[in-house]
Amino acid sequence: MRITVLDFGSFLSYSPHGASPDIDQAREVMKIMKADQYLEKPQILMSDWIAKTIKQHLDRLPFASLFKENTILVPTPGSSLMQANSLWVPHRIATALVNVGIGKKVVACLVRKTAVRKSAWSKPSERPKVKEHIASFSVQELISSPPPEEIVLIDDIITRGATLLAAANRLSDALPKARIRAFAAMRSIGNSSDFVSLSRPVTGTVQYRPLKDDTIRRP
Amino acid sequence: MESIGTPKITTLAPKELLGPLNDVERKFAPSELFTVGPMEIPLPRPRVSIIGSRNASPEGLAAAAQISSALSKKGVIIVSGLAEGIDTSAHKAAIEQGSRTIAVLGTPLNRVYPAKNWQLQREIMNSHLAISQFRVGSPVQRKNFVMRNRTMALISDASIIVEAGETSGSLHQGWEALRLGRSLFIRKSIVGNPSFKWPRKMMQYGALELRDPKQVLEVLPSSKRISQITVQI
Repeated sequence: MRITVLDFGSFLSYSPHGASPDIDQAREVMKIMKADQYLEKPQILMSDWIAKTIKQHLDRLPFASLFKENTILVPTPGSSLMQANSLWVPHRIATALVNVGIGKKVVACLVRKTAVRKSAWSKPSERPKVKEHIASFSVQELISSPPPEEIVLIDDIITRGATLLAAANRLSDALPKARIRAFAAMRSIGNSSDFVSLSRPVTGTVQYRPLKDDTIRRP
Repeated sequence: MESIGTPKITTLAPKELLGPLNDVERKFAPSELFTVGPMEIPLPRPRVSIIGSRNASPEGLAAAAQISSALSKKGVIIVSGLAEGIDTSAHKAAIEQGSRTIAVLGTPLNRVYPAKNWQLQREIMNSHLAISQFRVGSPVQRKNFVMRNRTMALISDASIIVEAGETSGSLHQGWEALRLGRSLFIRKSIVGNPSFKWPRKMMQYGALELRDPKQVLEVLPSSKRISQITVQI
């Protein structure tokens, strides 16, 4: 495995557990994002809102350094296979970011060739392992020459980071010289008492644990 | 096929009924929708489709009623296609629960299919909501039901297939729900039935095994829409 520690940034946060007005609101925002629905005021797609809000505050966001002028954005596939013309939220977020001038272009070169269990519906012990994720990905489209120096994987939600770490390693096999990092629009907070607010921009790491073939995300 | 007279029909664009649609949702959305019934517009939510075979087993019919009742008690609006079997069971259970239901028809609103659901359709038009994408007077064709199934997926925040064979029209709705990124649940006993291939295939594309109606509640949006997000950075 080429990459055992992956740097990531994320913008929003939510907790799948607990109940309070703030937790409920963040969970609702997560559902709007997962469907890329319109917000009412202003009437704007959630993916566009994310991109526009990041753009507006980019100089104050800790993950700003992820995005350089030459950065290629690679959307991360979901856990399932995908039909043609399906909703692919990470791709929509990546496209929205490029549309506001964040990143050079979107290259949808990673695909799932086999489905893996959905982490959100699995017990922690039954979640797909990193090597299982890696085996399920393939790189379909070669990124045009010269090879990119900077790649940021884009995902909608980061939980433990196993998907992103596996995607980074699959990409790194194809593009060994590129620096690969990751960005997720939302970070899942497992323990609701650790939830602070919807807006919680951070940078952090996803670290591989070889003995368990899993990952630890910090923070 | 029975006629139900000429009810008072409202014509709406999909975005008037459902709110603005993204491009994936617009792909197979009808250009206009016709409605009869007192339910408020845009539609309240959450909305869940309960669908399946016309020739359902007694176990399937009971499961449809049980799932419909359980979700209705939690304020979910039950969407179905007014067909015989699973659809009828789902609509009736919602009504018996004192909850609300939406029938999405494969015929124009002045027609009834199957004829024996005339009274149920009338009750839904009087107290709930019936929707069709087919203008009164347009011919009833087989392909209409496929189009209706896609529309039903669009109207629903999640869909549940209770029982369905390899050629069931419900599978069209299942595939469309997956394409739209909406949750699709398949009842556990169907997933475990070795004579069906479609559940395992759909699960590779993101469908989930339904073990308990509570799973559905977890993925549904709240009845209150978030109009605005404020972030402090």
